[in-house]
Amino acid sequence: MFHPRLAVSAFSASLLLAAAGLGATSSVASAQDVIRFGAPLPITGPLAPEAVKQQQGYDLWAEQANKAGGIDVGGKKYKVEIVYSDYQSNTPRSVQTTEQMITQDKVNFMFGPFGSGAAKAASTIAEKYKVPMLAATASSSQVYDQNYKYLFGTFTPNDTLTTPLTQLVKAKAADVKKIAILARNDLFPLAIAQEMEKSAKANGLEVVYFEKYAINTLDHSATLSQIKSLNPQWVFVTGYTNDLLLIRKQMVDQQMKAGVVTMIAGPAYQEFIESAGQSAENISSASWWHPAEQYNGKDIFGTTANFVKLFKDKYKLEPDYAHASAAVCGALFQMAIEKAGSLDRDKVRDELAKMDVVTFWGPVKFGANGQINSLEPPVFQIQAGKPVVLFPDAIKQGEFKLGVN
Amino acid sequence: MLAIQVLINALVLGCLYACIAIGFSLVWGVLNVINLIHGSFIVLGAYLAWGAYNSLGLSPWYALLIAAPAFFVFGYLLQRLLLNRVITAPVLVTLTLTFGLDLILNNAMIYYFKADYRKLILNPPTGSISIFDVVVPVDRLIATASALALTFLLYLLLRRSKVGRAIVAVRLDRDAAVLMGVDVKSIYAIAFGLGAALAGCAGVLMALIFPISPLTSSAYLGKAFVVCVLGGLGSVSGALAGGILLALVEGVGSVYLGPAHAVTLSFVLLIIFLVVRPQGLLGRKGFE
Repeated sequence: MFHPRLAVSAFSASLLLAAAGLGATSSVASAQDVIRFGAPLPITGPLAPEAVKQQQGYDLWAEQANKAGGIDVGGKKYKVEIVYSDYQSNTPRSVQTTEQMITQDKVNFMFGPFGSGAAKAASTIAEKYKVPMLAATASSSQVYDQNYKYLFGTFTPNDTLTTPLTQLVKAKAADVKKIAILARNDLFPLAIAQEMEKSAKANGLEVVYFEKYAINTLDHSATLSQIKSLNPQWVFVTGYTNDLLLIRKQMVDQQMKAGVVTMIAGPAYQEFIESAGQSAENISSASWWHPAEQYNGKDIFGTTANFVKLFKDKYKLEPDYAHASAAVCGALFQMAIEKAGSLDRDKVRDELAKMDVVTFWGPVKFGANGQINSLEPPVFQIQAGKPVVLFPDAIKQGEFKLGVN
Repeated sequence: MLAIQVLINALVLGCLYACIAIGFSLVWGVLNVINLIHGSFIVLGAYLAWGAYNSLGLSPWYALLIAAPAFFVFGYLLQRLLLNRVITAPVLVTLTLTFGLDLILNNAMIYYFKADYRKLILNPPTGSISIFDVVVPVDRLIATASALALTFLLYLLLRRSKVGRAIVAVRLDRDAAVLMGVDVKSIYAIAFGLGAALAGCAGVLMALIFPISPLTSSAYLGKAFVVCVLGGLGSVSGALAGGILLALVEGVGSVYLGPAHAVTLSFVLLIIFLVVRPQGLLGRKGFE
């Protein structure tokens, strides 16, 4: 039912709210010199745990930047202020929120929303208003193939995770001939499974099973029995923490054994390792960053070890790639603004485009499409309850171990 | 061999589904309330088992003994203090009330326990038994046995005890029960309490099997709903039949059509049942 009077009063209420918001904005700006960064996040809804990670990363950076007096713009210090907004895990709403932040909240620069899908949608708005946007968690190449000038991202394409994995397995486990791939039917987990299929075929492996499972699947026993009957030496599963914990438990239940078991993206998270316990042993994975990396950065955090320490001090937990990527996005904006010596969006955008610097996150250089192309994502394996980096060689911590029981 | 393994998996999973659904079916059958808080009760039961094991070292089998009375009291009070006020209102009102209560309980759990996924890991692990290459995990077997035992207990209670007969009487004909001197309000509260107790026990058993997070409550509720429609309301054995049918369809579907279509298939089955046999496999008017 449609009530015209209700609609009118809702409309006027929102106008009032907007006016109040604008009022607040100008009073903050006049009280102190600040740079405002917009961060649309899925604070509520199914993606809420991811929003928490990104928020922790941004907040840590803002805190560090402000502790050092702020961002230096041509000799004058500006405080960092991050404007958060909840788009309720709803992609169309992330587009609205982005537009609102630029037009009403008057943010200077934008962080991207979570994941590839929402980042792609919201980047259209940033492009329209010529606001530089740094996406902390968008990896799919479809996000960057629009050739936008103002969009940059800190995740390399998905194949940079699967290719080194395949090469490592080929080098260390010559008798792995058959691979079974099981993917969550969702944008990123499916995309990475498809990359894995390509990479396996290119390296002469036989893909004996490739299937998707529905989001919210409560039981995988039939699927796993079928995979077991095909005897693959490599089982490759994608999904999020909950799916992977369940599948791993059911693999143990079904007494499934394989030379190599790879799971993406759970094992990079500490909560996966804790909850999977003994069954996490020898599970391999890959991610865009790892706390064991040792980069000596020029950014505000400096070394990777320093970032990890600051993060642990503030949140009492081990940072993972999602935390780190959010923090490095802030640090990159800071470097670009200081180098440009101005808050002019085009000047900052140009500094981002020609950036070539080492950070705690790794070497950062963006390709012509805006996606980072300098990063070598690490391959790691859970050994004795700890993630151990196997690749790249420069930061290798241990040898690849075969056999997952 | 794969076919037998899939069949066994489905039988065991079917009993778990029945365990998830039985309390939901009781409340729906007796009170005509679609209890949307059921999924969150299960999750809360799982947290109880997890907490008891990790902080007190209490095995989940003992946690069952705590969960059953605790959830009964919780459910009883909820019905007495809140739901009984609107129980005679149209079904949408009770639905909305349980929906609201579910939002509160679920968000409270997200607040206290966080949305992170946790796992109850028994030490030593229970492992699996294998007979002629067919593998059955022991924890699922125990959960299945417990589910069957709970179902049987409920059956006995409804069949033999005075309270049980009163519950069935209220279900069959509320007005006649009132005339016979049955205190309907307290019977409603007892039935809701029993439903909550069954959900809490189901949660303790599911903690052994599935990862624990407030976010999983909707998955449990969805399964309970499908199982009730398939098996039919108003019979204890209906939940069992519905659970096994659902698990079989999902298992066979995921092997022959791929796991992505297993869920689709189960909902197609649900629609067919709603059209062709809305009373379900074993649905009856009385609850016994």
